[in-house]
Amino acid sequence: MNRSIRKVGIAVTVLLLALVAQLTYFQVVDANRLADDPRNVRSQLEDYNRPRGQILTADGEVVARSVPVEGDGDFKFQREYPLGPLFAQISGYQSFVVGNAGVEASYNGVLTGREKEIDFGNITDVFTGKQDTQNVVLSLERRLQQLAADQLGDRKGSIALVEVKTGAVLAMYSNPTYDPNPLAGHDTEQVNTDFFLLNIDPAKPMLPRAYRELFPPGSTYKTVTAIAGIDAGVTSPTTEYPFRAFLELPQSSTPLENFGGGTCGGTLIQAFTVSCNVVFAEIGLQLGNDFVPRMANCGVQAGTNPPLDLDPSAVASVGPPAGSFDNDKPSFARAGIGQDPVAVTPLQMALVAAGIGNGGVIPLPHVARDITDADGGLLRTIAPEPWLTCTSPATALEVTNMMVQVVNSSNGTGTRARIPGVTVAGKSGTAQTGVEGAPPHAWFMAFAPAEAPEFAVAVILEGEGGTSEQTGGQVAAPLARAMLEGALFP
Amino acid sequence: MRSPVARRRRGQELGLGLMAVVVTAGGYVLLQLAEKPDLPPDLWVFMLAVLGLYLVAHLAVRRLAPRADATLLPIAAVLNGIGFVVVSRLDRDLARVQAVWIAVGVGAFVLTLMLVRRIRTLERYKYTFLLVGLGALLLPMLPGIGREINGARLWLRLGPLNFQPGEIAKVLLVVFFAAYLVDKRELLSSGTRHVGRLTLPDPKHLGPLLLAWAVSILVMVQQKDLGSSLLFFAVFAAMLYIATSRASYLIVAFGLFVGGALIAYQLFGHVQDRVQAWVDPWSVSQTTGFQTVQSMFALGTGGFDGTGLGLGSPQKIPNASTDFVFSAIGEELGLIGTVAVCCLFLLFVGSGFRIAVQADRPFSKLFGAGLTTIVGVQTFVIVGGVTRVIPLTGVTLPFISYGGSSLIANFVIVALLLRISDETVRQAEEPRARTTAVIGEAASVPSRRQVAR
Repeated sequence: MNRSIRKVGIAVTVLLLALVAQLTYFQVVDANRLADDPRNVRSQLEDYNRPRGQILTADGEVVARSVPVEGDGDFKFQREYPLGPLFAQISGYQSFVVGNAGVEASYNGVLTGREKEIDFGNITDVFTGKQDTQNVVLSLERRLQQLAADQLGDRKGSIALVEVKTGAVLAMYSNPTYDPNPLAGHDTEQVNTDFFLLNIDPAKPMLPRAYRELFPPGSTYKTVTAIAGIDAGVTSPTTEYPFRAFLELPQSSTPLENFGGGTCGGTLIQAFTVSCNVVFAEIGLQLGNDFVPRMANCGVQAGTNPPLDLDPSAVASVGPPAGSFDNDKPSFARAGIGQDPVAVTPLQMALVAAGIGNGGVIPLPHVARDITDADGGLLRTIAPEPWLTCTSPATALEVTNMMVQVVNSSNGTGTRARIPGVTVAGKSGTAQTGVEGAPPHAWFMAFAPAEAPEFAVAVILEGEGGTSEQTGGQVAAPLARAMLEGALFP
Repeated sequence: MRSPVARRRRGQELGLGLMAVVVTAGGYVLLQLAEKPDLPPDLWVFMLAVLGLYLVAHLAVRRLAPRADATLLPIAAVLNGIGFVVVSRLDRDLARVQAVWIAVGVGAFVLTLMLVRRIRTLERYKYTFLLVGLGALLLPMLPGIGREINGARLWLRLGPLNFQPGEIAKVLLVVFFAAYLVDKRELLSSGTRHVGRLTLPDPKHLGPLLLAWAVSILVMVQQKDLGSSLLFFAVFAAMLYIATSRASYLIVAFGLFVGGALIAYQLFGHVQDRVQAWVDPWSVSQTTGFQTVQSMFALGTGGFDGTGLGLGSPQKIPNASTDFVFSAIGEELGLIGTVAVCCLFLLFVGSGFRIAVQADRPFSKLFGAGLTTIVGVQTFVIVGGVTRVIPLTGVTLPFISYGGSSLIANFVIVALLLRISDETVRQAEEPRARTTAVIGEAASVPSRRQVAR
């Protein structure tokens, strides 16, 4: 009998060892695939139920916070956005159902405490695997964000205000916007419905237009054209141009006209001040293939996107392909005046303004300023970094002077951006939308004070059916002025 | 305690048991730390309760079976401790009930040691055990007191508690099988009928056995308790093989199993669902394969070292505190935890079979091996089910799953194995008693020689 008992014993042992083999497969070999399977809600639940840090404005207001939920449900916290639509396109949302976006996504590791700034937890943390949350303090101020929202009112458009030296975004707002609170709900069906409705809304309220929508920049792009032309040696502020009403384009039977059909010319400064199309179209043609790498220097060439610390990040601009001049010369003329094929985000034009104000160096843009611990103690400051070298300090100064003329000269297009006691450098833009019958987009980019630049701004009021005929100098410049005033005189 | 074996074994049992208490208390502390960074306020109460329960069991062994094996009780204690920690992590209310059941289980353990002073007493009442066992199996079918949970009618309603008499019936029926097989094994070993190349014994001797087995299986199929059917089948086949040493029984049993499985597959939708969920759970991941898929997610998320006690989401697995408790362990304690639990069961099974091999009476051997096979195969059936080694059939994981009847049955099994072990050593130490025993069981002498050869 003993022999058969032993055999049964061996059989049972083999069965149990088979379990160990299978367990090794599931828990080692196949573990990552199972853990990361999208149908496995654990990692999402874990993220969702981890205490999560706050997102705060630079002036100390709560943009996002987690409040504990009573009861035994799957969810231990409710994410709240007290400022709602005002910061929606910066904070984004943190949703168990539809994922996350914005700072919630780009600083997820920081907010959950998984990416620790300082890794000296106390001993119980080590044993429990507990992680301290961390807060993200934005560089944006609620005051300036509110100002941007008030300035736009119910008009469709975007405003981006950045600090010239650091690239810190102080305000970035666009209309229309949305309320992220419903997306943080716990009712899967309700959240899916809300998300679906936001997505099919033709006004695209969830699109952060300031950094994720492309617009032809119009005449504001003449700053880039001027920089490229001066640096390439094809023009200088004092170069004289004939007075013309239109420019014959090679490879095209349609001549390029001035805005409003007028005649203009003179020195480059004069042409810039009145935003003379034929002059800058000609510079575009003179630059030819050399234009493209110089656009890239200023962060506005095809495929260049500012590495903004948001997720999804800023979209890339579009422009003429490198080396395409011989095939498509009119495109380079139109690029010279910021029309098709060029399209950029409002943030990019604010960064060009900041680059000019910063002696030619464009700072790396960022929306977060500090990482703090749960008690508000400073853990890390986002260090300012240069992003691109757009031009030389000398050229930057020459373009600054031209931009000052735009605002200060009596025949300039940006006189409405004047601020008493402060020299403002600016450039207007009035961009054809390419849509038949639609009024143009009204642009204004500026920085101030011109002698020692601190703040740069870009404003766009979108032209769409129903808006009246508008030019950047008339309607967008006052908004740029208001933003600069708000930043300069808090 | 005059016996040196007894002194040594009880000392080991106490030492190992204290380690089991420390492991349990450690798990309890970790669980608390996962929630807040303080030690549980009732830690001392908890430790004293665990220690107290263990000491009750240990002192009972000291007094009632002093020469018994030293490892079974500590292994049972640590498995039970891990089980309690995991159940209390999943459901605090359930844990309170489980604590009461553990106390009742320890009581059943002591009571078994007290009542069953000699293992041969059981042998004498084999038909009584058969009747009580079958009765217990049938009890939930009675209207009024029976209760259906998750589609299986296995429970008795006793006030607020549910009791599964089938768990106890398993032990009772193994008593009958062991006694009957020992009684008839000479006849069963020598075949008289030839079916092809197989030699089968006289149906007259096999008949009652097959009947008892068929009735119990049918009852379980009727109650939709596939896991118990499978378990019973395997234990029965193993015992028949051990009693007769004839592989032909295994072949016949395997044939019966395949036939039974095919018939069950044809007849029952829920059997088809289980097989489908085993072959390809992903295609039915939202319906019948849901729990299997959730179990795999839990195991994969746990990975090698687990998420840590209290830090995973094992509540996402359906029935996490009963059938799927092993997956919950896998998620929070990782491969380290699951392999440790498997090793503990291996040790338990090893000790059980050693006790059976060392026992000197055929009934004790067969009974001990049968009880051990219950624990080993039951572990395989449920762990294999939740890890997709075999189709999922719901049985409890011995000592670990929530469930009073299962705990009581398993503690009774430990008590009976300890009784067999104690008796073996006692007979070896008292030559006179052994002689008497041998004379008293003249019939079994030849068989022992047969085994020895």
